[in-house]
Amino acid sequence: MSSQKTERLINLTLALLATKRYLTKSEIFKSVTGYSGSPETMERMFERDKDELRNMGVEIEVKGLDPLFEDDQGYLIRAETFQLNGNEFAADELLYLTMAANLWHDSALSNDSKAALLKIQSLSGPIEFNAINFPVVRDSESSQMLATAFEAIEKLKKLSFKYNGNQRSVEPFGMFMRSGFWYLVAQDDKVIKSFKLVRVESKISFEDETFIKPEGFDLTAYLARYSEEEIFEAEILVRKEQAYSLRSKYSAEDHDSEWDLMCIPYSYEPELIENLLWHGQNIIVRKPQSLRDSIVSRLEDFING
Amino acid sequence: MVDNAAVRALRTMDLIPYILENPGISISTLAAKFSVTEKQVENDLQLIFMCGLPGYTPYELIDIVFDDGIVSVIDPQVLDKPRRFNKSELIVIALGLQILIEINKSNPEQLAKLQSLSKKISKLGSSNLITLDPLATNSDYLDLITKAISERKHLEIGYNSLTKDERTRRAVDPQSLYFLNGNLYLSAFDLNVRSDRVFKVDLIEDCIIIDFKGHDNSSEQAKLFELVLDVKKSHRSFIERNSSVISSLQEIGDGFEVHIQIGNIEWLKRSILSNAPGITVTSPSLFASELLESAKSVLALYQA
Repeated sequence: MSSQKTERLINLTLALLATKRYLTKSEIFKSVTGYSGSPETMERMFERDKDELRNMGVEIEVKGLDPLFEDDQGYLIRAETFQLNGNEFAADELLYLTMAANLWHDSALSNDSKAALLKIQSLSGPIEFNAINFPVVRDSESSQMLATAFEAIEKLKKLSFKYNGNQRSVEPFGMFMRSGFWYLVAQDDKVIKSFKLVRVESKISFEDETFIKPEGFDLTAYLARYSEEEIFEAEILVRKEQAYSLRSKYSAEDHDSEWDLMCIPYSYEPELIENLLWHGQNIIVRKPQSLRDSIVSRLEDFING
Repeated sequence: MVDNAAVRALRTMDLIPYILENPGISISTLAAKFSVTEKQVENDLQLIFMCGLPGYTPYELIDIVFDDGIVSVIDPQVLDKPRRFNKSELIVIALGLQILIEINKSNPEQLAKLQSLSKKISKLGSSNLITLDPLATNSDYLDLITKAISERKHLEIGYNSLTKDERTRRAVDPQSLYFLNGNLYLSAFDLNVRSDRVFKVDLIEDCIIIDFKGHDNSSEQAKLFELVLDVKKSHRSFIERNSSVISSLQEIGDGFEVHIQIGNIEWLKRSILSNAPGITVTSPSLFASELLESAKSVLALYQA
């Protein structure tokens, strides 16, 4: 039974895809194999088939064929809405697409990555290239969470989840990935905030309500503002022949027999401190005084427990 | 998974352009690619064999041959091209292209091609509401490393070790490349120490392909240390970044009791010091006091 229905859905899709003109229902019932029974039965079958295909993203176009009779409608599927155009991508572009999709095959996006790769390989044939050995992204997100968030952004659905001990109900505007972690940009109680997905403490679920996104919202501009920071400069001493990872990024000049002098630009003090303390006794901060003080107080707190 | 008729119909239709581009493919490969059983692929192919265009004469049916577990398409009818990418597939591709653009910043020719491809993809309807914040990854040797992995060649690399803080040269058998927490890493077998190692790609100073010297991959089992840490909530990003070495985790007061298993003790020592005072060692006590001594000697530099 189910395989009969599958067969009918395939034949219907093929017929609507192959036709150059709109097919009426009666033409469909006459020509597409699988439709049988009373006119009402066939009608019901067709309506259901059409809805199911549409739910899977197949765009079935409808057009009234006779302005006087509303019932006389025609149907077709445009090839350009259903299939990729074979000439859409050059050979080297197919390679880049493979690399781009392949990057995610180990991540929470692996299902979509796999599906995209199948389609690319249906244009390109087998890829005998380094693409397979190209980097992949590893993350620790839940793919269910990402899929839910993507859908909510797309369809303007409100989301609810627990974050930082509180139950939230937010309007999701967009998402971004920074340093390998996903963030949801959403309006929570009239303020636009970023939520780090790994810190979400519950399932993310849709609410019944949808919302209207403010027209002026622009994710790129939001991110630019988010990372717009004042730049400071730290002057540090680096022990000779040590701290190579800093030396590969910033130039150092001779200071005395034991130390070299180095200047490092920074915008976020905690991040710089983390980077400097990593080198332990091989670094001394000279300026600014506030940075010296922060380091000293952190170490004192650590030692005194 | 519930395989309803519409899902199955579309998957079955997806098989045709794939087989068309990959003639002579085996049922087992198809099953693996489409994440279904071999039986399911066979059933799907039997089904579509009966489908075609109105008229349904042999000239209008989809024609495939399968024999001995190998499939080819003779006539795909209208199914000669894959379906369009859906929204989430476009997201994956668009994000991937963003990463490729980032790591090819220093290669103008590739960059131009990638940017024009990225435009095409956004015309297909990818969302601009899901994006990547730039990664800072220097990738001068990315092509070379990729090539070495593909061709199973060895590499000689000059490396600034972060944990040992020394510049070393070593011969490695490269295995794979991956992004983790925004950094690009190379996982490789270090031929000198005969053990698996992970290298941060932006700390590789130079890199050349060398002749295969032949080796057995029998690595020495690295000794793992077990430690218990107290990580304050304010420093939970340490937990998020290192989830792979954490064996258990329990919320206690304003922090977490974290059990960690690790081979590289020097790395842990430096990580704890850089997070001071957010992470403290609960056990073993010997390691805890060793860390206190390090902290004291750094502090002494500021009190001199």
